Amino acid sequence: MSLSISSRPLMILRLTTSATQDIGSTPQGTLTIFPVTGGSFEGDRLRGKVLAGGGDWVTARENGTFTLDLRVTLETDDGGLIHMTFTGVRDDANHYFRTVPRFETAAPKYAFLNRLLAVGIGEIGPDGPVHTIEEVL
Amino acid sequence: MNTRLLMTMHVKVATLVNIGAVPHGTRRTASLGGGTFEGPRLRGTLLTGADWQLLRSDGVLEMDLRFTLRTDDGALISMSGHGLRHGPPEIIAALGRGETVDPSTYYFRTMPRFETAHPAYSFLNRLIAVGSGDRRPEGPIYTIHEVL
Repeated sequence: MSLSISSRPLMILRLTTSATQDIGSTPQGTLTIFPVTGGSFEGDRLRGKVLAGGGDWVTARENGTFTLDLRVTLETDDGGLIHMTFTGVRDDANHYFRTVPRFETAAPKYAFLNRLLAVGIGEIGPDGPVHTIEEVL
Repeated sequence: MNTRLLMTMHVKVATLVNIGAVPHGTRRTASLGGGTFEGPRLRGTLLTGADWQLLRSDGVLEMDLRFTLRTDDGALISMSGHGLRHGPPEIIAALGRGETVDPSTYYFRTMPRFETAHPAYSFLNRLIAVGSGDRRPEGPIYTIHEVL
């Protein structure tokens, strides 16, 4: 049995966001919503744009980390629609920003997305968040 | 993707309850009958929990698991996770018959998350992990890696 986890690139996802909505202190932490206004994604097997209307619900925890909860819609360059969500952790003190994306689609060409688990490595670029997403093999 | 071993978890399934056909597929619940986990930084036993499974119409088994772990020094850790299992029909059929199958012949992966209040294990609150499953007749073995 393999004792290591192998992966392969799935896509690089770039998001643009508008002004945050600061919900403030809630029982779960301090909630900030980052509305997604667009973006792009590109990989060997799929590419296209991020539709406006999604967002990332980011909660600041007492231990100094942020938990992420994102929902966006991806539209491939051939018209496939993909519902994408992720949860994740951002721990700036340790330069750790990782997500667990999930995908749902009805487009047959992209049905492989319904059957895989993935891990994203996030960073905040000059134009917004960039997520390098790998399929877990 | 860089990872390092977090733990190997041996799960014993106590009972399988078939809920049956629900709007999104066929649902069943596998309740935990104990187990152990061991890794370089933590080890202990499994207390309670279950895996709520949904067999989707595309043949993929979706898992929604929640286990409570107790380390050998008394810390309680809540683990939850989402997983997927699928493979060639003959392999999945062999698993269904309770046979031991080479885990490289099917896809069985989970994304566990951990929560604990114990300071010695607070690193678990901050990490993302990937589990690779091996379905055995008595229950699954998960090799869980921290995503670095």
